[in-house]
Amino acid sequence: MISRHIDMQLLLSRTLRWGVGIACVVALVGGLLYLVHCGNQPFNLDDYRHFSYATAADPAYTALPAILDGFLHFTPVGWIQMGVLLLILTPILRVLLSFFSFVEERDWLYAVITAVVLAVIISNSLSL
Amino acid sequence: MTILTFTLILLLAAYSAGLLGSLTGLGGGVVVIPVLTLGFGVDFHYAIGAALVASIATSSGSGSAYVKEGITNIRLGMFLEIATTLGAVCGAAVAIYLNNNVIAVIYGGVLLLTAAMQQRRKSDHEGVVGSEAARRLKLFGTWPQRDGTVRAYQLRNVGGGFGVMYVAGVLSGILGIGSGVLKVLAMDSLMKVPFKVSTTTSNFMMGVTACASAVVYVQRGVIVPDIAFPVMVGVLLGALTGARLLKTMNVRVLRQIFCVAITLVALNMIWQGFSGQY
Repeated sequence: MISRHIDMQLLLSRTLRWGVGIACVVALVGGLLYLVHCGNQPFNLDDYRHFSYATAADPAYTALPAILDGFLHFTPVGWIQMGVLLLILTPILRVLLSFFSFVEERDWLYAVITAVVLAVIISNSLSL
Repeated sequence: MTILTFTLILLLAAYSAGLLGSLTGLGGGVVVIPVLTLGFGVDFHYAIGAALVASIATSSGSGSAYVKEGITNIRLGMFLEIATTLGAVCGAAVAIYLNNNVIAVIYGGVLLLTAAMQQRRKSDHEGVVGSEAARRLKLFGTWPQRDGTVRAYQLRNVGGGFGVMYVAGVLSGILGIGSGVLKVLAMDSLMKVPFKVSTTTSNFMMGVTACASAVVYVQRGVIVPDIAFPVMVGVLLGALTGARLLKTMNVRVLRQIFCVAITLVALNMIWQGFSGQY
């Protein structure tokens, strides 16, 4: 029981570290690509001074298919946004791993609690 | 200003935010918001998107170390995450109806509370008799001491803690920050969890809480590559440096300076919010 507890902590710790590491590298590749391509162009801060829900967002920033497409075609935006998605995915993966770990321990109460957390996150994220 | 210059400035600012957030235990998101809004004049919505990215990066980055040391109470975190994720979903839904001035005032309020909480004495709450609900939920735990032994603790007021966690989640959903201050308030003050366990478990929970609303924010288009890339890389590197420095450095003075600084930022935000300047 004790050793398994420690196993789970190690696994969670590694998941977090690897997930963040991979997400960061992907975003970094995208960022460097972006800087090489258009680093010397003027930056227009005015683009970000006002935000409106009414303006249609660029799908390359916001929609999973477009982000995936950009990622596969090696676009800077695709890689940075993919890095963001991987970053978001890391804690979700952590919850998923905890779920399996509780099931394996036959701790049904916590398997259910973890499933509820997972359900809340996924149901709120599904429309991407 | 070229894109390269902007990226480098923001990278440096994000690095400092991650460093400060990690040294003071507040997380990177709290510092990223004023840097972007007051420093660069960026709209609050984009700053919130950046804060979400920063919160997840610091939580996962530094969380991995604490979980490994066995300080984090994973069951307690998981149970309370029901409250924080539900809260975050509600907060993200409500955020659409809030304009920048209201958001600025809420953010200023959270900052003030954060500054006040930094002055509290850190207590290990010895001899707490746990409640029946906490026992049934298997929330009691142990945490490692300096001398290599482990010490057991009990806790109580599960309902109260759960309620405050919901509010913490709502604030996370609106502001994109980890609301570490409310999480610690719930665990430390209400549930009588030892301080070190409260802070590490709070940090552990931040990432999951932020995730619950992060996808919604991606869809709204407030997480933009120009800002997300330097913030993510900078905050993460800053947090890692901070975690390393924390082992050798005495941060008392730094925390006091930081407290004064965030109080000033908070008052500034509340003032500007009330006078409708955003």
